[in-house]
Formats: sequence, structure tokens, C-alpha cells
Amino acid sequence: MRSFTRRKSLAITATAMVASLALVGCSAADDSSDAAASTELVVGLLASPASLDYSTTGGAAIPQALLYNVYEGLVKIDNAGDIQPLLAESYTVSDDGLVYTFLLHEGVTFSNGSPFTAESVKFSLERVADNWTANGPGYLDPISSVDVVSDTEVTITLSTPSNSWLFNMAGPVGTMFSPDGIDDLATDPVGTGPYDVSEFTSGTSLELTERDDYWGEAPFMSDVTFNYYADATAQTNALLGGDIDLISALTAYQLIGQFESDDDFAVYEGTSTGETTMTLNNQSDAFSDVRVRQAVMYAVDRQAVLDTVNSGYGSIIGSMVPPTDPWFDDSLVDLYPYDPAKAEALLAEAGVSDLTVSMKLPNLPYAVDAGQVVKDQLAQVGITADVTTLEFPAVWLDEVFTNHDYDISIIAHTEPRDVSAFAAPTYYAGYDNPEVMALFAEADASDEETFVELMKEATATMAEEAAADWLFLNPNVTAADADLTGVPLNAPTLSFDLTTIAR
Amino acid sequence: MTTTTPAPAAPRLRKNAIPSGKRRNGNLVVGIILIGLIVFAAVLSAFWTPFDPEGVFPGELLLPPGAEHLLGTDNFGRDVLSSILRGAQISLIVGIVAVGIAAVLGVPFGIVAGMNPGRLDQFMMRGNDILLAFPALLLAIIFGAVFGANTTTAMVALGIGSAPSFASIARSGTQQVMSREYVQASKASGKNGWFVGVKHVLPNISGILIVQASVSFGIAVLAEAALSYLGLGTTPPTPSWGRMLQDAQGYLYVQPLLVVWPGIAIAIAVLGFNLLGDGLRDRLDPRMQVKR
Repeated sequence: MRSFTRRKSLAITATAMVASLALVGCSAADDSSDAAASTELVVGLLASPASLDYSTTGGAAIPQALLYNVYEGLVKIDNAGDIQPLLAESYTVSDDGLVYTFLLHEGVTFSNGSPFTAESVKFSLERVADNWTANGPGYLDPISSVDVVSDTEVTITLSTPSNSWLFNMAGPVGTMFSPDGIDDLATDPVGTGPYDVSEFTSGTSLELTERDDYWGEAPFMSDVTFNYYADATAQTNALLGGDIDLISALTAYQLIGQFESDDDFAVYEGTSTGETTMTLNNQSDAFSDVRVRQAVMYAVDRQAVLDTVNSGYGSIIGSMVPPTDPWFDDSLVDLYPYDPAKAEALLAEAGVSDLTVSMKLPNLPYAVDAGQVVKDQLAQVGITADVTTLEFPAVWLDEVFTNHDYDISIIAHTEPRDVSAFAAPTYYAGYDNPEVMALFAEADASDEETFVELMKEATATMAEEAAADWLFLNPNVTAADADLTGVPLNAPTLSFDLTTIAR
Repeated sequence: MTTTTPAPAAPRLRKNAIPSGKRRNGNLVVGIILIGLIVFAAVLSAFWTPFDPEGVFPGELLLPPGAEHLLGTDNFGRDVLSSILRGAQISLIVGIVAVGIAAVLGVPFGIVAGMNPGRLDQFMMRGNDILLAFPALLLAIIFGAVFGANTTTAMVALGIGSAPSFASIARSGTQQVMSREYVQASKASGKNGWFVGVKHVLPNISGILIVQASVSFGIAVLAEAALSYLGLGTTPPTPSWGRMLQDAQGYLYVQPLLVVWPGIAIAIAVLGFNLLGDGLRDRLDPRMQVKR
């Protein structure tokens, strides 16, 4: 008994020592990036896809790896956020905005050898209605019919004019599938893109190999491996150690300086579509009064949040619109300057004192960090926030997203052009303004110019009514070996587009 | 000391018991000093810390150690010394509550089993063995997932998880006491089980229980740090050494000293409770005293 306990007690002490020393001990590994490899690229990413079928499995991980690399649609979003033809050689729109005519490239094949024709377009788009459960199942609702004119010409007729429709066609939902290549989408995707999946180990890695029968311009990199890491520190260590060549969407912002000061690496800072949002439950007792929500907006110093959480990387946007969207309105950025006195005045005006709210955070580092800063700032105007952290995704989705049982939560909304979805009364923010919903609907059916104007009006109303506190826009930081070129700067879609990267 | 010591353990007892009386006292003294430090930090921080350990100071992020901030500041601009001092509170509370729950659940269970040799004892102790095989930390992770991760669930889970070790120690101590003459005499004079258990057994096994409590305390402190490190323990912004380690991990390249301070604090607490446990065993365990 005695010696057993002694040994155990020593082991426990030793574990504590090792825990602290091991963390100190691992210093920067030497950089031994492989110069010999020329057309092989290893990319380090964080969230691993659970399957390879983005028609039934949600999340950003699958389109990040596959969209534009393995799968293609008729159109794509380029790095500046503009719509460009892809499998369509060109397209025309009728004057009433209802009939789209796409002329398709000739000689396009799927990775299983089947030809891509107008019939494939009809098949893929009609398949969405019954088989698409994730990543925007309702995005193609405006389509009333798809008509094959010839092998290389297809017309798509909409029931109402829609501006968002073509944008969505460039995303996962517009992917072109082969009728004889959809049996095993979860493990064996068949697309028209420049790469084919050669190996997939869930949670670890995904390997893409260049197709030799690709219809378009061959990509520069012949073999691409996505390595998935459990946390940002492991990911950056892998780049420092030479295991990987590039980190996309780097989130260990405090380590960016490490790469910037090293000539072996290049750092690219662009914009993403990830708005880190502090959602106020508009339906809750605490926040049903617009003045209380506005008080929160004045009480929060967003620059301080950005400095603490993201080491200052990112930008303050003031609404749910990133600057890459045409209806970004920079007058909203300073709509609520940091002004605790004004916050207190608004609270007094609303007759609220000693307000206690529940802050339910997903257990994601950025959310927990931001929550601590906000809690401290709310305390300074007399609002007490009770913080609980919820396991993400399951518990958080259930409690906050589905059951709306919260006052404040913080999460990054990464979907592109998601502001209209946020305004839906049934959404977890509970923001309910029929006029705003009407504006969004009217905007979607308008011509391009009116569209932008109406979108601006709707998003401005949401900001003025403090539907949520859009704390900041995440940057899209890429750190890569210095000899890589063509690294995508922005992330206007969920895709990490490999086609421009060269060494 | 009578005859019940198992034979294989005897030589080891003798070997350790004879030459090392002073060293064991040393264990006790060092243990008390280290625990005293932690208790002092916990009490002091209840009334005073150099800076607010829960605030956020955007202008003072990641300062190196200096005259104003003796141990520097973290990524929220918080004074690390203040956080370490306040973190001692959580560690002590978790230790006290977890050990308390473990003792309240485990000791009566063990005494009942030890006083009723035969089928009931076998049944209870095999059940106990099954629970003993289940790690407290794993239980705490399950509790955190089911009931929400916070200090309370961590304390309760750690307490429940370490109850079986209290039960088996209480039971083996009880078995020894039950064979003594005074227990036999008490039984012969018609005293019931309650009387024997409370008046004779409990006081006579309190020594080994205190030792077990001290060792379990160290384990609980470490487990709380581990859970907080995993994001399943203390809810921010309440300072916890484990979460300080986790936060600091991301800034390893920027401000490496940040991981050292909470690491040292955890090591002091765990070392202190284990030395205290060892020292107390030498003083309180009747087997030790007889040999000496």
C-alpha cells in the first residue's frame, strides 16, 4: 500500500511538471521545407470533412476542399467576388430577367469518363429539389424549368427574377453531377473539375490528383494533399516544420508575426465572409426592447474585442455585409461608437437596471475569448452576463440555435451573402421586422442597381435596430512558403480554389 | 499492531520505517509549507489582488514581467500574478468539494462492507471494483458533456469518481479494526452495528482516511486543471490554472513565460498535497507508529 501510493504520488507530481515543461520545451522546429517537390502541394486545414458529399452533409469543410477543385458549376465566383462563367462558355439573360441561356464548353468530361452535356445540367439541377438537404437546399427554388436546347445549350427559366439565384449557382448547390456518378458521393465524388479524389481518410487527410483529361487549362500543381489539424497551434507548427506548404484561413493570429518576420514564408491578408457575430436574442425578455440592444452596441468596444481576440487582424464592419459584397455600406461601421455613457442613458431610458443576461458561448476559442471581453465591457454599464460554455456543435446547436434558449451568444457566420437569412423571424436571432423581409424579397427580384440599393436599405435597418452586434469580419489569412505564387487572397466563397497556385 | 498485515508488505514496511524518520518529518513540513502558500494565496486573493483578475485591459496585452506586473500580462491584458492568486481559490474549492463528496459516499460504503464479511461484502466490493476501474477524469468529461461544463459538474464528477478508492481503503481499515479485542468486547456487550461503526471503527480508520484525502486532494487539483485545459472545467473569466495553461499555449512563441507560471502553481499544489499525505501517513497510520 505504502509504496504504491508513494509511486503514484510521485507520478502525479511528475505529470504536472512535465505538463508545464513540455509546453515550454517545444520551441520552433527547424525549417526544412522540401525544395525538391515541385508540383506537389500540402495544405494545412483545421476542420476535417466527415464525408465528401456536400449535398447531404453541412459545414464548410467539404466545399472548402472540393468546390472548383473536384466539382464545378456553370459559373464560379472569382477571388474578387464577381460571377464568372465556368462550365458555361457564356450566358445571356433575357430583358425580364427570367430566362437564362447558357452555352456550354464542348468536350467536357466527368472524372468517370462520362461526357458533360446539357442533359447533365438538367439532371443536376432537377436532382436538387429531392436530394439536397445541406448547404442551401432552397437556393434553386426560383427555377421553374430547365430546357435542353442542344448538347451544348440549355435555357433555365425562373418563376420570378432573382439576383441571388445566379450567385448561389456558383456555390455547392449549382454543382454539375453525372447521372452515372452519384452512387457513392460520400467517398467517391465524380465531378468535372481539374482534380479527382485519390484518397480520403476522415479526420486526417484528403488527397487530390490532377486529371489528365481535364477540359480546361491544367492546374499547376499535380498532387494536392489537405492535412487536417486539431488546433491552430499544431497547424502553424506543421508549417514551421516544413510538413505543409500552406495554411489557408489561418486563425492563430498571434503567430502571424512569426511568419511575417521569416523570409521563408509569405503572409497574405484578404477578406473572408466570416462575420463574428454577437447575436442578441431579440425575442428574449432582456433584448426585446430595441433601446436595450442599442445600449449593448454602445457598450461594446469592438476594436478592443478585435485586438484581444484576433490580435488586431480583421476589420470592423458594423453590419452583416463584408466589403466584397456590392451593398457594403461603410457608413454603418461607425454607427455605434464605443460610448458607455450613452449606453447607460439608453438603459435608463428603457427603464432597465441591474440587468442580468445569459451568455451561452460555443466552446470555440475565439467565442470564449470574445465573450470574456464583452462580459467585462457590459459589466461597466451595469449589465451582468452569466457565461456558460456549450459543447460545439451538438449542444450549442440544440440549446441556442434550435431552442433559442439564450440571451447572448457569439459565433462566426461564414456563409457568403447570409444577411437575408439572418433576418428571418424564425432564425435563432428572432429578429422580426416584416418590412426588412419585404425589402429583401423586393431586392432579389429587382434589376441590379435597385437590388444593391434595396439591400443597403435592408441591412442598414437591421443595423439601426441592432438586430445583432456584428463584432468584426474575420480576415482570410494565408501563410505559405515564399516560393508559392497565385495564392488566393480573399475567400469570397467557401471554396479554397487550388487552380491558380503555382511554385 | 496485531497480525492482519499482509505478509508481502511487511519487509517493505520495516525497511522504510527504520532509517527515515527525519525525512518523513521533512515531507510533512515541506508539504505544509507548500499547501500554506496555496491557502495563503486563496485567502489573500479573496480580499486583495494587485489587479482585477477578471477584467480586460486592451491596452496592456502580453506585457513581459516587469515592475508593475511582476509576472507580466496575458492576452486579455490581465495581470498574471493576480490570476494565479485567484486561481488558487478554484483549485482549493474543487479539492475540498471533490474530496468531501468522495469521503461522504465512499467511507460509509466501505465501513458497511468491512463490517459485514461474507456475501454482502463480496457483492459491495465487486461493485466497487467496477467503479474503481472507471477513471474519474473520464467521468468528469462525460458529466461535462451531459450537464454542461462548469466547476460544479467537474467537482461532483471528480468526487463521485474518487469515491471508490475511499470505499476500498475504509473497508480494509474496517476489517483490521473489526478483529480487535475491544470491538469483540463491544459486540459481546450487546452494542449494535451503528455504535461499533461510529464509536470504534471510524475513529480508528480516520488516520488512513486523512492520508487518502490529502492524496485525493492533489489528484483533484490536477484533474480540475486538466479539465479546464480541455475547456470542460471552470467557466471563464474565473481564473483557473488549467485554462491559463491552455490560453497561454497559443502564445507560446510570443510570450513563452505565460505557460510557466500556472505550470509552477499546479506543480506546487500537487506536490504539496502529496508530500502532506506522505508525511501524515507516517504520523497517523497506526501500522507505522508501531513499527517505529
